[in-house]
Amino acid sequence: MSHAFGANRVLSDINLDIAAGEFVCILGASGCGKSTLFNAMSGLLKIDSGSIRLDDEDLIGKPGRVGYMLQKDLLLPWRTALDNIVLGASLTRGATARDRDKAVELAVHYGLGGYLDHYPHALSGGMRQRIALLRTIAAGSDVMLLDEPFGALDSLTRFTMQRLLLRVSSELKRTIMFVTHDIDEALFLADRVIIMLPNPGRIERILDVNLGRPREVECMASPRFMELKASALKLLYAESQEEVSLRS
Amino acid sequence: MNISKTIVGHRATVQICFWVLAMLLIIGLWQAVIVIGQVPHFVMPTPAATIDLLFSNAPMIGKLMWQTFKETLAGYAIGAALGLALAVGMAKLPLTGRLLYPALVTSQAIPIVGIAAPLVILFGFGMTPKLIIVAWIVFFPVVVNVMDGLAQVDPDQINLARLLGGTRLRTFLIVELPACLGPLFSGLKIGASYAVTGAVIGEWTASSRMGLGTYLLSANAQMNTAGVYAAMMLMTLIGVGSFVSLLVIEYLATPWRHRATSHRHQAR
Repeated sequence: MSHAFGANRVLSDINLDIAAGEFVCILGASGCGKSTLFNAMSGLLKIDSGSIRLDDEDLIGKPGRVGYMLQKDLLLPWRTALDNIVLGASLTRGATARDRDKAVELAVHYGLGGYLDHYPHALSGGMRQRIALLRTIAAGSDVMLLDEPFGALDSLTRFTMQRLLLRVSSELKRTIMFVTHDIDEALFLADRVIIMLPNPGRIERILDVNLGRPREVECMASPRFMELKASALKLLYAESQEEVSLRS
Repeated sequence: MNISKTIVGHRATVQICFWVLAMLLIIGLWQAVIVIGQVPHFVMPTPAATIDLLFSNAPMIGKLMWQTFKETLAGYAIGAALGLALAVGMAKLPLTGRLLYPALVTSQAIPIVGIAAPLVILFGFGMTPKLIIVAWIVFFPVVVNVMDGLAQVDPDQINLARLLGGTRLRTFLIVELPACLGPLFSGLKIGASYAVTGAVIGEWTASSRMGLGTYLLSANAQMNTAGVYAAMMLMTLIGVGSFVSLLVIEYLATPWRHRATSHRHQAR
């Protein structure tokens, strides 16, 4: 697929095939078209050319088919944690007792059981992001797009959330696409890391992260991890060096 | 839980103390003006004399107050409902909204006394012109505030609702409308303090039934200063009472602002 805003080619010949249950990270500096790609996949943005398909269903211009989570938790302050988790059901058809029971089960399983009656303002950033994640899960889509969801968290909370997400991925078998500009985060989480570069927004390389699962924190110090990190750095850094030499 | 409840209770008590203190200050200032300026009774009655008149004529004055209160409350309810409906309609139909907005502003530029006379010609001496005047005053701050509130809802929040597959009506009710509660109550509070003025002007222009406004006029004509001040006091009481009631309603309607947890469903 391709897309341009005026003369700015934000997405240039993007071609991606993602397997069911796969965890894919998109790594790139700002302006590489990550967010445009997500907006297109979520159905908010109609792209100029190309197609986006989930199984055989066309996704272009059809919001509500895939889950989406942003850095902003976007919790509704007037709804409790539980009511925020079942928001998807509330917005489409009204939340039933069954929706609530399932949400409670999910929340208990992922460590939020004691906070379901809390309003968001009474919870920490990590807790709020956890609710946002459960809201995305509870909405039920098989594909979840996460756009730098942990970007605003402190490093410890962020790590807790990454491990939580790995659990979600392995237990619920959802397909996850995750945008980040943190190389460690991308390599720790993903089966494949897609490296995107700007001007025009394009896929530079796709790295297979053959680190095995389940992953523990130690893997981030393994030689294989370092190797992958080095090549990712080189790919991302080469571009900015070119820019520097062009300017000088 | 106990601690937070005590804190909330404590804050409410402090709040009430401030209100009582402010009222006492106003009455004290009134008394001070009379004592220091040696103002004679036929020019300005003392607070004591005014309150005394209120109690000695309690049944009669009670009826007057009830009449004015009814006009204020009914007109207020109509104005507030109309204001809310208009704001939603104008926000959802932007073209109509842009056309109506100048008309609304114009409506408020017409001096309210100027509206009163033609309304009497149109609707006679009954309740209708008074309700219209009160509603006329009240709807405007509600429209303006709610429209601003709707315009300021986080677009990401609306996008999220779309991405969750939300219907337009449900998105409006669950996401947009609650986001406007703050501005709505601001508008309602501004309206509450002005509403009595509308009712009194309505009574002054034409009234077949005695209210505080008509009583004030006749007391004034009879040089009954205590009566004038008594009427004024009660009008003020209606205005302040409405405002305070709204504060309480707002407090109860927005529990998330001052509570950590909801009563409705406890964690299981």
